[in-house]
Amino acid sequence: MPTDSDSDFAAAVRRAGVAIPPERRAEMQHAYERMQALLKVLDEPLAYEDEPAQLPRYDRGRR
Amino acid sequence: MSGQGPAGPLPTIAECGRRIAAGEVSPVELTEAALARAAALNDKLCAFIEITADRARAAARRAEREIAGGRRRGPLHGVPYGLKDIYDAMGLRTTAHSRLLLDNVAAEDACTTARLEAAGMVLIGKLATHEFATGGPAWDLPFPPARNPWNTDHFTGGSSSGSGAAVAAGILPLAMGSDTGGSIRLPAAYCGTVGLKPTYGRVSRRGVVPLAYSLDTCGPLTWTVEDAALALQVLAGHDPRDPGSADVPVPDYAAALRQDSKGLRIGYARAFNQDGGVGAEQAAALDAAAQVLARLGAEIVEVKLPPNDRFQAVCRAISHSESFAIHQRDLQTRPELYARVTRERLTLGAGVTAGQYVRAQRLRRVLTAKVDALFEHCDVLIAAVIPGPAPVLEETDQRPWREPQPLSSVFNVTGQPCIAQPCGFAANGLPLSVQFVGRAFDEASVLRVGHAYEQAAAWTARRPPLATLPQ
Repeated sequence: MPTDSDSDFAAAVRRAGVAIPPERRAEMQHAYERMQALLKVLDEPLAYEDEPAQLPRYDRGRR
Repeated sequence: MSGQGPAGPLPTIAECGRRIAAGEVSPVELTEAALARAAALNDKLCAFIEITADRARAAARRAEREIAGGRRRGPLHGVPYGLKDIYDAMGLRTTAHSRLLLDNVAAEDACTTARLEAAGMVLIGKLATHEFATGGPAWDLPFPPARNPWNTDHFTGGSSSGSGAAVAAGILPLAMGSDTGGSIRLPAAYCGTVGLKPTYGRVSRRGVVPLAYSLDTCGPLTWTVEDAALALQVLAGHDPRDPGSADVPVPDYAAALRQDSKGLRIGYARAFNQDGGVGAEQAAALDAAAQVLARLGAEIVEVKLPPNDRFQAVCRAISHSESFAIHQRDLQTRPELYARVTRERLTLGAGVTAGQYVRAQRLRRVLTAKVDALFEHCDVLIAAVIPGPAPVLEETDQRPWREPQPLSSVFNVTGQPCIAQPCGFAANGLPLSVQFVGRAFDEASVLRVGHAYEQAAAWTARRPPLATLPQ
């Protein structure tokens, strides 16, 4: 029976316009689940003031 | 230096420079020696994608004329080097080890290439990488994967695989690499060379095929720390055409090498290493390295880094998202041109949500602040870069989900400079490695500690047993 995770990854790949050969779908689904397990810690709350590291720096390049 | 064949490894950059200055060897002799050694060893090591012999000989003759005419440019003038094949060199192909770029001829030099050429260096060739500096060793690519000179059955580490192999084999005293999650330091560690990942923004990335914009760092692989300092002196500096380049003064790195380690406070991330799965041999070698520094007069204190899983999540969310954004169109239109492992690892980026990417960048700032705070009490950190010696090449992970590099990618997330260098050998004869990490833009302290340790430990005297390579 398909799981939410199956349909999440299938939808993400379809939206991205990328094809996965049928014989590789199970392996890719497994890889996706491993990745999501690692990324789970990103769901932990952060303070409002914790802004992204990669904000633009418009003073760069100015001497 | 006879210049007649691959009798031995090329001298270090510093030694080449000294001997050229003394008239004991010429750039043409050094170039011929590098070309001969490359020709003799490349079938076994697969370090080079392309050997640029004619161009090298012309550059060597030009250097020789200039030096003979009293116009020596500096210690790198007339010394051979190589480029990971993601660096542009005008008129040469930049393939990124991929079928997608087999016809991609560079219209101009990368900023780094231009700096090395302006210093008078002689390009010997373009070096193997993992496809687009990601993927992994693969056999369905136009060029074979590089092999480890210490034992050709073993992995070089990646993705600057040819760079590690060529420097370890003594074909080149300098090879450029790039580091997004460890790709300079891992091949340096597995191949027993020095690998310097400068601070993010210290060295220009312009003209280098990107993998992940906010993590990519360019730097040198060399045989000694002194050579890394000589290379960085030329490579470092602001490039207004690289949006990530920092406008920060460049100090005299050679001066840093003349300072000893007395009085430095060095933080040892022992618990973090254990968290990263460091094996017994590597852990013992790290302990021994810390003891060497203590004997040299440094104070060793244990420090605590944030939990490893935070760094890994941040690095993978960012690197997968950014590399997918770069490759999405090619993955849509000509996916068959990628190696299977590259295609699948890049495709995983489609599964990272926008929310995860932004939260990863937010957590990155938090982690960076925590690591920066350690430097309020320490001058340099010691950490592992590999869990143990190089695995067997054929047994490297070929699955779409590669287990995170638990030790090297930490400092890609936080951006600080670090150097990987030999700290011993495993029972199977393969190198072990230690990593020294410094404050942002304080490469000088990293080089200072690395050089002091290298002089005391003397691992550089041991070279790979290339005479025993199978014919």
